[in-house]
Amino acid sequence: MAVEQELKKWFAANWQKVALSLLSISVFIAGWHLFSEYLRATSPSLYEYIPPPAQVLDALIRSFTVLDPTSNLYMTDHIWASLKRIVLGFLLAVGLALPIGLLMGSLKGAEAAGKPIVEMFRPIPPLAWIPIFLVIFGIVWGPVAIVFLGIFFPVLLNVIFGVKTVDPVLVDAARTLGAKRGHIFTKVVLPFTVPYFMTGVKVGLGVGWMCIVAAEMLGGVGGGVGFYIFSKATTSQYDLMFAGMIVIGLLSTLTTGLAGVFEDRLYRWMGMR
Amino acid sequence: MRGISIEGLSKVFRKGKSELVAIEGFNLTVPEGEFVCLLGPSGCGKTTVLRIVAGLEDKTDGTIQVNGRKVKGPGPDRGMVFQEFALFPWRSARRNVEFGLEIKGVPAERRHAVSSKLLELVGLKGFEDSHPKQLSGGMKQRVAIARALANAPSVLLMDEPFGALDAQTRNLMQKELLRIWTETKKTIVFVTHSVDEAVYLADRIVVMTARPGTVKKDIPVTLPRPRDRTSREFIAIRGEVLAELEAEFEKARATELEKGSVK
Repeated sequence: MAVEQELKKWFAANWQKVALSLLSISVFIAGWHLFSEYLRATSPSLYEYIPPPAQVLDALIRSFTVLDPTSNLYMTDHIWASLKRIVLGFLLAVGLALPIGLLMGSLKGAEAAGKPIVEMFRPIPPLAWIPIFLVIFGIVWGPVAIVFLGIFFPVLLNVIFGVKTVDPVLVDAARTLGAKRGHIFTKVVLPFTVPYFMTGVKVGLGVGWMCIVAAEMLGGVGGGVGFYIFSKATTSQYDLMFAGMIVIGLLSTLTTGLAGVFEDRLYRWMGMR
Repeated sequence: MRGISIEGLSKVFRKGKSELVAIEGFNLTVPEGEFVCLLGPSGCGKTTVLRIVAGLEDKTDGTIQVNGRKVKGPGPDRGMVFQEFALFPWRSARRNVEFGLEIKGVPAERRHAVSSKLLELVGLKGFEDSHPKQLSGGMKQRVAIARALANAPSVLLMDEPFGALDAQTRNLMQKELLRIWTETKKTIVFVTHSVDEAVYLADRIVVMTARPGTVKKDIPVTLPRPRDRTSREFIAIRGEVLAELEAEFEKARATELEKGSVK
């Protein structure tokens, strides 16, 4: 009963937003359909590449219900395989980027030492590492390493930025209250950096999913949505390829959304929202 | 000696090759329990004096003693209140007040008792669990005052604490501060650029010169409290302080024009 009322309240406040999102998605699908139909009429050879939305929806359903003959897996298996890579890469990236970022943000020396390496490696697209990672990390950990790279830098840069923008008045206040360097770090710098860290996490998760196709080009041991897209593209099954792309888009939205919910809870708990 | 004594204080800011003498030959003695307002044109170094006494800034020369002890860095004998409130947004009012006690390692029960008492003193009973976001400007500054009092300092340093508040809240907070001062008997050094505020609050008004800042005039205010801003005596002192201050405003402007650098 209470939940129902909450939903009603939420809908009353947000129906315009909901209506607009539905409208924009509908317009997109309609445009896609028209474009596809236009290709069917004018150049059937191109039509093959852009199947209409209805066919893609059908392919999407098939990918879940019919066993994929090339990999002998269902879409749920592919999702599970990709999710594992994302989570592993994410945990490794956050586990390293957070302490390194805190260190580089707090100590001038650490920043001076770390910055040239960060600046040199940051602009290299994760894709470029594929051959080397395949040799170094092999077929199982190679894809995880690619995802790791995609998530590592956004988290690192945001944490460094957060530490460096700590409000100096808060540090002054802490000092007049008797705080020494250690206290300032744990009681001022760390909580201050949380929102910046969360921004890095949300951006990183998106980049991580962007890297998954490249990562799974290395080979999909146990499948993977990226591997699925890649294999359907090479066998010209474009409706299934688009189905895989839609799944990645939805998964990315889902994980970023979950991070957003976690962030909201965290801020509420910290009293900042 | 109890209270604050500042002798021959000077402060030079160096940036590359350029030097800026912010304070020169500044002397001030504040006996225990006195309420002193520092007043001066902007850029005269009044905030810098306060920050040096707080231990947040190094001095270039001179001696500063608080209760007979030389100031070396911040210490629990001096509490500070900032214009920007400087509350920790992730801490409730209570946990903001308890910050200094946590660092000292005071056990939770004792902390709780102290923060309850202080929040009641500043008129925030019932708001212990509110976070800064949920509080108005005046309430935030009440929390900041309670927080500064938590370490039981003998001196309260206040840097334009009501500068960010609207006129009504400001007047109310001035009354409240006098009440808190009477109840706690702290020595207060209060930096402001409002003549009205200084005359309303202070036992003594110290007018500073334009840069390099030093004491221009020491004006005692002996009017009984609560003071009536519209009384003839109040207005007379206001006029006296304003005259001193205006001469310095002119000087400050003249040097800025001379250097061709209006900040």
